[in-house]
This record gives sequence, C-alpha cells and structure tokens, in this order.
Amino acid sequence: MSQEEMIRAVNIHKSFKGHEVLKGIDLSISKQEVVCIIGPSGSGKSTFLRCLNRITEPDEGEVLFEGKSIMGPEVDIDEVRSHMVMVFQSYNLFLHLTAKKNIMLALEQVRGMEKDEADARALDALRRVGLDGKADAYPGQLSGGQQQRVAIARAIAMEPKMVMFDEPTSALDPELTYEVLDVMKKLAYGGMTMVVVTHEMAFARDVADRVVFMDQGVIVEEGDPNIIFTNPQNERTRQFLKRVLQDEPGPPPA
Amino acid sequence: MTMADGWQIIQGNLDAFLAAAGVTVQVAVFGLAIGFAGGVLLALSRISSFKPLSWLATIYIEIIRGTPLLIQIFFIYFGFGAISPLLNFNALTAGILALGLNSAAYQAEIIRGGIESVPKGQMEAARSIGMTRMQAMRHVILPQSFRLMIPAMTNEMVTLIKDTSLVSTITVVELTFVGKQLTSRYLEAVPILGFVALIYLVMTFATSRAMRYLEHKYRIPGYGEEE
Repeated sequence: MSQEEMIRAVNIHKSFKGHEVLKGIDLSISKQEVVCIIGPSGSGKSTFLRCLNRITEPDEGEVLFEGKSIMGPEVDIDEVRSHMVMVFQSYNLFLHLTAKKNIMLALEQVRGMEKDEADARALDALRRVGLDGKADAYPGQLSGGQQQRVAIARAIAMEPKMVMFDEPTSALDPELTYEVLDVMKKLAYGGMTMVVVTHEMAFARDVADRVVFMDQGVIVEEGDPNIIFTNPQNERTRQFLKRVLQDEPGPPPA
Repeated sequence: MTMADGWQIIQGNLDAFLAAAGVTVQVAVFGLAIGFAGGVLLALSRISSFKPLSWLATIYIEIIRGTPLLIQIFFIYFGFGAISPLLNFNALTAGILALGLNSAAYQAEIIRGGIESVPKGQMEAARSIGMTRMQAMRHVILPQSFRLMIPAMTNEMVTLIKDTSLVSTITVVELTFVGKQLTSRYLEAVPILGFVALIYLVMTFATSRAMRYLEHKYRIPGYGEEE
C-alpha cells in the first residue's frame, strides 16, 4: 500500500424522499489499499459506495479521484467510471451476452479496442477467475458464484485503477461465497485498490487494510481490522460485531 | 347453389381477389412500418426526462387508444382536407396513415413496456463500467427489450392486419371492399366472404409463425429460466 491517495470523499450527503441516508461522510483511500465497509442494513454503506462513482448523485459534498474533482459538468464521468468499476450484489451481467462478450463489450465500446484484442483480453480475464471454460456460456447458464466471477472478470479486464464491490456475496448461497471471496483475495494480494461493502467479517478481518464501520448514515469508527474486531472503541461497533460474529462460523479473531 | 358454384365465382374473380390481397398487404406493411417508427419515437419521448415531451407523447397515446379507429380513419380522410388542402389525401394514403398513426400509439406502449422490463441493474452495470447512456441503450437495453417485446408485437401485427378491413369504408379497394362488392353482385355471401376470411387467416397465421420463429431464433439461453 502506498501513501498516495486514490480517492477522497468529502462531506457526502444524500437523502431519499426526505430521509437522510448519508449525513456527511468523509473518507480517503490510498492506492493499493483494501477498505472494507461494514455495518447494519440501512446504514447507508451501499449508497455511499454508489456516490463514489456518482451512479447515485450525492446531494452535497465532493469526490476527488486521483486528486481531481469528479463533480463538475466539465468532467467526463463515463471516462472516470471506467477507471473505478463496480461489482454488484446481483452481478448484473448483460443477460443477452455470453461471458466473453460481457467482458468484450466495454473493452470495445469504452476502450475502443479492436475485436481480436478485446477477445484475447476477455479470455485472459476469464482465466484469472478460473472460468475460461465458460467463455461461451450465457449468464442464465451459470451459477451465482460463476456469474459473480464473470462480473469480476468484466471489471478487471478494464484494467481499472480501483474496483468497488457492493455486497458481492450477499446474493450467493453460502457454499458459493468462498469461490468469489477467493478471487477477491487474489485481486487484493495483487495490489488492486479495493473498496468492499460486505457482511463477510472473516474476509474483512483477513484481507482489509482498514475497516470502516458505518451506522445510521455516519462513519462511527474506522481503523486496523485487528483493532476493530478485537477491541472496538465505540459501543455501536461493539454491539454490531457481537451480533454478527455470533452466527459466523470459523476461528475467533486472532 | 353448390360448392362448385361457389368455387367458380372465386376462380372467375381470382385476379380481383389477389389484387385486393396485395392492397391489404400494402396497407398492413406500410401501416406497421409507420407504426414502428412512430412507436419508437413516442416510447423514447414517454420515458424522456424532458417532461413536456413526455406529456405530449402521453396525451397522443391516450387520445389514439381512447377513440375508435374507424373515427380516426374518417377524420384523416374527410377531416384533414378541411384543415388544409395539403392534407387532402387519397383513400389509400389516408388509410395507411390512419392505421400507422394508430398503431404507433400501441407499439409505443409495447416498446416502453419492453424497455422498462429490462432489469434496472443492466443500465447501472453498463453506466458504471463507463458506457454512455446512448451506448447502454443501444448495446444492452434495446437488444434485450426487443426480445421481450416479440409476443406483444405479434398481437399488434395480427390486430393491424385485421383492422386493414376498416379502410374499405373509405373506398380503398382491398380485400373486404372487393368481398363486399362481389357479394352484392353474385348474392353469394358464404363462399365469397369465406374466401376473404381465409386469405386474412393465411396472412395472420403466417405472421404469427414468422414471429414465433424469430422469438425462438433470438432466444437467450438460460434467460428467464432462473428460479
């Protein structure tokens, strides 16, 4: 992890129908850092993630990507998004395209790649997630875990500077989550900058450089996962971890 | 009157029937084409974030769907000429235009329904990987929605083919017009109108089979088969 900053969110506010979901979030993420955002449902963590690439437009505040604001009308937000791609809870693979074509589409349309080059790049990305054998399968023919791995392949084929994960394993059967988490681990160890909204506490503990705990639209506590998980400073963090770690199998925190 | 007599009337007027069927096909094809072009424009207008455009499209669609097609045909044939001499169409043009403008409203709703039934996450995924709205529409949303639209479009096409018979009322010499003419000449309604009905049936059946083939051909493996 370097000290150089990748992205910084400043005072992000967002309301839906009069209900304030984000009440001023500040967060800075360094290059090659892996940040896991945890917290109860409805805490605003997914909304915050979606504000980072303005798929959800914040009401107030600013996002700086590599030091440059991405908020103004002069910003080519499509170009920015292609460098900080997102992986969704429900995979959102393009349903009418094969796994390989799913990856090729943005390479051709956004990166302007020739077909042959995009094809080779797509196959390479599929190989990295262990699915080169499924290149010609349609999303409907793949399991949830496989679909999510294709979605990750689609993201990394863009050679982004950062990948954002929005509860990537929440829609999966428990026995399929590990294959997705495995791919994410490899990506993290390879030096990718990652922001992960997750309920997978073991993943956060093992892989994250920093854990951010959100509740009721604010960041309650953040820090080193070893400290957050063993000795949280805030009562709300303690309560939340107590609740979720109860039903979590596996070894207790080291 | 025997079967043979009836068959003789049909055989003796086969040229007239075929010519009339040609006109029916012409009205149907041009009507559907105008309807599709208009339908795409109306559908995109309706889902546009520019409110006045969306309202105009909605008003147009509601008026067309809420009034009888026969009145619309009369309105364009008899009424438009009174508004401006430039709009004084011959019967065939007026008939095609009326059916096309009518079908546009129905096709617009089918197209809008198709676009809106593509899961929201598809647009989000496309936008969040850097595609523009246009690119996402063209490469992700529309290809999926056209497939979803096929069954409803088949209905609309079959309906329009049958509705072409209404333009006989403004003297377009198509199948129904010729059927009525020959019936009053020979006073043999059953064989003549039966044959006319059979020709319509062939057209509608061929259309729905062709669309079924398209639906099958462009079926997405695994699509809609998830639990």
